[in-house]
Amino acid sequence: MIRACRELWAFFWRDLLIARTYRTVFLVEIVEALFGVAMFYYVARFVDSPQLEHAVPASGGYFAFSLVGFVFLDYLNAAMDAFDRSLEEARDAGTLEHLLVTQTSLPVLLAGSAAYPFVVSAVRIGVYVAWGAMLFRFPLQEANWLAVAAVLVATFLAFSGFGILSASYLLLFKRGNPAKWFFLSVSGVVGGMLFPVGVLPDWLQVVAKLNPVTYALDAMRGALLAGAGWRPVWQPLLLLLAFAAILLPTAMLVFAWALRRTKTTGTLMHR
Amino acid sequence: MQSRVGSWRVVCNEWRIGRALCSRRRNAISCGVSENAISVTSLEKLFPPARSGWRALLQPFEKATIEALAGISLEVRHGEAVALLGANGAGKSTLLRILATLLLPTRGSAQVAGHDAATEAREVRRRLGYHAGSDIGFYARLTGRENLRFFGRLNHLSASALERRIPELAKQFHLGEALDRQVRTLSSGTVQRLSLARALLHEPAVLLLDEPTRSLDAIAAAEFRRFLKNDVLKNGNTSLLFASHSLPEVELLADRVAVIDAGRLVACDTVSALRRQTGTASLEEAFMRLTGRVVPSTDGAAE
Repeated sequence: MIRACRELWAFFWRDLLIARTYRTVFLVEIVEALFGVAMFYYVARFVDSPQLEHAVPASGGYFAFSLVGFVFLDYLNAAMDAFDRSLEEARDAGTLEHLLVTQTSLPVLLAGSAAYPFVVSAVRIGVYVAWGAMLFRFPLQEANWLAVAAVLVATFLAFSGFGILSASYLLLFKRGNPAKWFFLSVSGVVGGMLFPVGVLPDWLQVVAKLNPVTYALDAMRGALLAGAGWRPVWQPLLLLLAFAAILLPTAMLVFAWALRRTKTTGTLMHR
Repeated sequence: MQSRVGSWRVVCNEWRIGRALCSRRRNAISCGVSENAISVTSLEKLFPPARSGWRALLQPFEKATIEALAGISLEVRHGEAVALLGANGAGKSTLLRILATLLLPTRGSAQVAGHDAATEAREVRRRLGYHAGSDIGFYARLTGRENLRFFGRLNHLSASALERRIPELAKQFHLGEALDRQVRTLSSGTVQRLSLARALLHEPAVLLLDEPTRSLDAIAAAEFRRFLKNDVLKNGNTSLLFASHSLPEVELLADRVAVIDAGRLVACDTVSALRRQTGTASLEEAFMRLTGRVVPSTDGAAE
């Protein structure tokens, strides 16, 4: 276990050192976040109305609702993107073979490839929320930070399964990220990113209920905006954890099978 | 014309004799040695044909029909250095990659220190240092030292072991200040030396090197060979299997030479024994004879 943690730290440190060589990116992202938050603030000022205030199931109005939706979907994107992006980079740089001949186990290799993106995307949420609170009256006093941390971890675990499935697809077919495409495009409509799923027609609400993104967003809004309690959080949180418990091992098995397949066909390093 | 046909007959005949000799020797080795650093038995590897367009979607499930290795049996004893000699596409890299757990064999077995490369991959990797022969495979924006630390960590080296090994190897491979420069700024020869340092970092019992001096200049290549001979192989704890097109390198480093042609092992013996068997004066000529190629004479005509 300690060894696995050391290996995970080695991955995190590697990515941090690489990121350090692109210093301006940090600054650009912080400024970009400011403009993103400002955009949602002014859109909210334009569309906010008493009816909408009533329809949005959390405090902070449409601005807080849409901002959380937007940044959290970005976080889901990172969870689904981390594995296949890391795999693609390793394949293109020729490091994949050298990673695979080390003594590190496959689950640690996978977890290690996602460690840094996980932390960075969580920090990015923090930056957006901080800008919102400092300049645009985002209701930080409503947040339950422990619940926020729990939701972040549970969401990453749950959606990592899709990320690993995408990486398996990439191993076999060399291009594309179908899980990301499916979840992010579908969730733009039926995930509740910019509007509550309650405004959707009945049949789309059924689709929304089957979509784990809806629960992840509910949990995050509950933790950040619903007034410091656990009540609005625990149910979607449990669903996310159950989802992770089923999907993660399944995805690991699929990835191991895909890796064996590429070792059989000799296409591990093919692009 | 007639003499050329005649010489072909001689070559083909000798090739058959060579194969028979090799087959007898293989059996003798297989029976006699109980524990080997590397043991390859009737190893076969077939690849599926490459597909493009929409048929590429079926590529992962294609039937493997292209033969890369056709029943190779080979053993490398503890502390021994064996060279793989063969033309491009003969199957040398495929064999090394199977042993490095990067490819799965179609049939037969490949073992490293008694562990099967297909079913006990982690045990195999624990004992293995692998150099792929290319000058890629590093994080370009990290320094050489940062890269070595990272891969050392993944090979379970402690921080103190890394602090000891990295300067040792840097001195050995004349990495000097290159160690603290980003890999993207290094020459391909320096990256190759860094890659060799990585393969040796965790002091593996078995070294697999695929054309280790391919990108090195003459001086660096000579130094590397000297280092392998005097520091790695001399203590008798490390076994080496390497592929090379450099015949002087093979003669200097290898205790035995395994000649591979079209996925088949056609001979495996010491350089002098190969010369004796084929009745030739040099390893180059012996290789040509064994693989059924015509030996060009110095005036350009085939012998």
